[in-house]
Amino acid sequence: MSDLDRAIEQLRACRLIPESQVRELCYKARELLIEEGNVVSVDAPVTICGDIHGQFHDLMELFRVGGDVPDTNYLFMGDFVDRGFYSLESFLLLLCLKVRYPDRMTLIRGNHESRQITTVYGFYDECIRKYGSANVWRYCCEVFDYLALGAIVLGASSELEPTTSSANDTTQSTMPIDDTELETEVLNSRGEVTMSTYRPRQRSSSDASTDSRNISPPRDISAAPGQLGAPTRSGAPGTGAGGDSNGSAPGSRTGAVLCVHGGLSPLIDSVDKIRLIDRKQEVPHEGAMCDLLWSDPDEIEGWGLSPRGAGFLFGGDIVKQFNHLNGLSLVARAHQLVMEGYKEMFDGGIVTVWSAPNYCYRCGNVAAILELGEDTSSGGTVARSNGEYGRSNGVMGADSLSTVVSPGRRYRVFEAAAQDTRGMPAKKPVADYFL
Amino acid sequence: MAAPQIPNLNSLRRGRGRGRGIGRSTDNGPESRPSGKDRIVQGTDNDASVSRLSAVDLGYLTDAYATALTPRGSATRRFPIINRGTYVRTTAIDQLVTSFLGLYTPEQTQAKRKQIISLGAGSDTRVFRILSSRQPSDLVYHEIDFAVNTTSKIQAIRSTPQLQQALGINTPDAEVSISEMGDALHSPSYHIHPVDLRSLSVNSDRDLSTILPGVERELPTLLVSECCLIYLTPSEAEQVVKFFTEHLFQSESQPTIPLGLVLYEPIRPDDAFGRTMVSNLATRGIQLQTLHKYASLEAQRCRLKEQGFGDGQAGADIEFIWKNWVYEEEKERVAGLEMLDEMEEWQLLARHYCIAWGWRDGSDASVFQGWTTLKAQSDN
Repeated sequence: MSDLDRAIEQLRACRLIPESQVRELCYKARELLIEEGNVVSVDAPVTICGDIHGQFHDLMELFRVGGDVPDTNYLFMGDFVDRGFYSLESFLLLLCLKVRYPDRMTLIRGNHESRQITTVYGFYDECIRKYGSANVWRYCCEVFDYLALGAIVLGASSELEPTTSSANDTTQSTMPIDDTELETEVLNSRGEVTMSTYRPRQRSSSDASTDSRNISPPRDISAAPGQLGAPTRSGAPGTGAGGDSNGSAPGSRTGAVLCVHGGLSPLIDSVDKIRLIDRKQEVPHEGAMCDLLWSDPDEIEGWGLSPRGAGFLFGGDIVKQFNHLNGLSLVARAHQLVMEGYKEMFDGGIVTVWSAPNYCYRCGNVAAILELGEDTSSGGTVARSNGEYGRSNGVMGADSLSTVVSPGRRYRVFEAAAQDTRGMPAKKPVADYFL
Repeated sequence: MAAPQIPNLNSLRRGRGRGRGIGRSTDNGPESRPSGKDRIVQGTDNDASVSRLSAVDLGYLTDAYATALTPRGSATRRFPIINRGTYVRTTAIDQLVTSFLGLYTPEQTQAKRKQIISLGAGSDTRVFRILSSRQPSDLVYHEIDFAVNTTSKIQAIRSTPQLQQALGINTPDAEVSISEMGDALHSPSYHIHPVDLRSLSVNSDRDLSTILPGVERELPTLLVSECCLIYLTPSEAEQVVKFFTEHLFQSESQPTIPLGLVLYEPIRPDDAFGRTMVSNLATRGIQLQTLHKYASLEAQRCRLKEQGFGDGQAGADIEFIWKNWVYEEEKERVAGLEMLDEMEEWQLLARHYCIAWGWRDGSDASVFQGWTTLKAQSDN
């Protein structure tokens, strides 16, 4: 067994590795990350995860629900550290897995992967407490500077393979009718389907698109059965101009998926612009790099000021235009606590994925991960356009805004791990309240 | 080192130690032998003072007395979300109190004297801040708490000239007396009563002057409960309020005096955050006993109306107050102190604490006039 495998084993048991080993690990990780572009290309199938925030036991639960590494291909969208009690164990484990299985583990940077934020929100203190000096914090911060800013997922299938596990009687999925494909599916941590939506299978004829892929908001899961209504989504997902205009990608009509921690930036109108950023630095207080890590989607038009004091708010029109110009079908991001674990907005143009259940041991929320399946219709070949296909020359008809089909999306929702039952040290975290 | 990561065992331990070490006179009733639950409630005071000092150190609040009233060595930087909450809670209650007291003018006469009674005051610094900024003669301030808490507060006052100065008791001829046990303090404008609130009963046949000496029954009075009554059972909490509304400040021989109540406590226990809060606090042995009875702003308003504050009842959660009571400029200043990265979490937390205020005008409708202009929240 290699040192790395031993370290992984140790960290999985929530036990820290010696400082010298951390130093070596961080060095290796940097060597690996320096080779990555600002926007990493990832092939589906992939499981996309949101904030972890040092909730180590919940990260273990995530692996239990989503599958272990390297069996499952993971993409973590940042905020590994701060707030929780086990930022070190969580981040070092992810980093070990990255070094051990570089092709099965993608890590991108969150706004908490920063020197400034970690000194306020707990990671710095944790390093001092657990290692007795700031050395390990410094090694980790150097790794943070090399993390990619985003990822592009290619080759995701528009249709989900239905989950075979039998649904119990509380399941609200409705039977698919002919000529529909499974678009979204929500599963609980036992692998039972709690909701599914279908859309008409794409036809060769070009029926006019009034694309309304707005799936029912997550809170509807708990609503009365039947409220979900018709199993099909009205309107066909357009003529798939993304695929049409990209003859080199037969069968791959699904647009690429951009993954970033926060969101879009008024300074960034194309994925290529992200690639031009000099990322190897502390997260700046403003500018494109800051925005990608700090911004939030909001029900506004255009851009707005962020109440966070960094980044911007951006509306559905911004997302729609960005996705169109870049041949994207979806922006997946994290950064915001959503009580239901995930939240789709703007007709499914953007999704927030949140993977820290009962955030800060206080919020009572569930968490989710997003699985994108592999498009096997073209024999496994993947369009290598890095999110550039579908890009028009700036002339854009109003009806061509939805030209690519969104990928089939399987959300696995899970709750906080019951710590004492899983052989982990059951140090009960104490959340702060006003007393 | 950031406190939130570490279970604050010290506060519990400290409470326990003190409780054991101090022999109690028997005449104060049930609190003489604190039960385990009482000790935990007493320990919550440490949480509050540490949070206050954190907010002061970071510039949220100005409070010259925060250091003196926080146990030495327990200073800890709280998370921004907690600091902002401490800020909103403190300034909102300050605003209600200031409005009740009225603008201070040096010419103010004896006739406008007012009285504040703070329930479960613990190590609260408000009295020092108020008395140091006003003419002491226009105010009588009472604090009621477990003897364990009053004893440590009196110790702090004894050992800190700055606190004595704020109270105007730093001169050799100051009229101040401290009980033999060191758990009660009496001065012309400040009284500390080592009393278990549960012993205050309408049916009490004890002489009022011995239960709460120094309370002036003819003064317009404001009762303040900052996370205090919520630890009592619903009937105990109601008894305590009734003691003031129906017993202490009600007599047939004189017109009803103006009386108000300000409550600060958690609400909304029945959503995901609320359920988690209840269960988290339960693991610390903390039970918020009236939380479910007064679970909403509406329930708080009804409570105030039913319990003797018939002329006005209002409430707002901390998020509403942050948005609506804090001036834009001040909001910017506070937001600039620390980066508050989790807006969603802030909203969640802040929506689960409320301030509710109710009053009866009695003989002088001008006393609570100012409260009618405060922006209240109309929903649940």
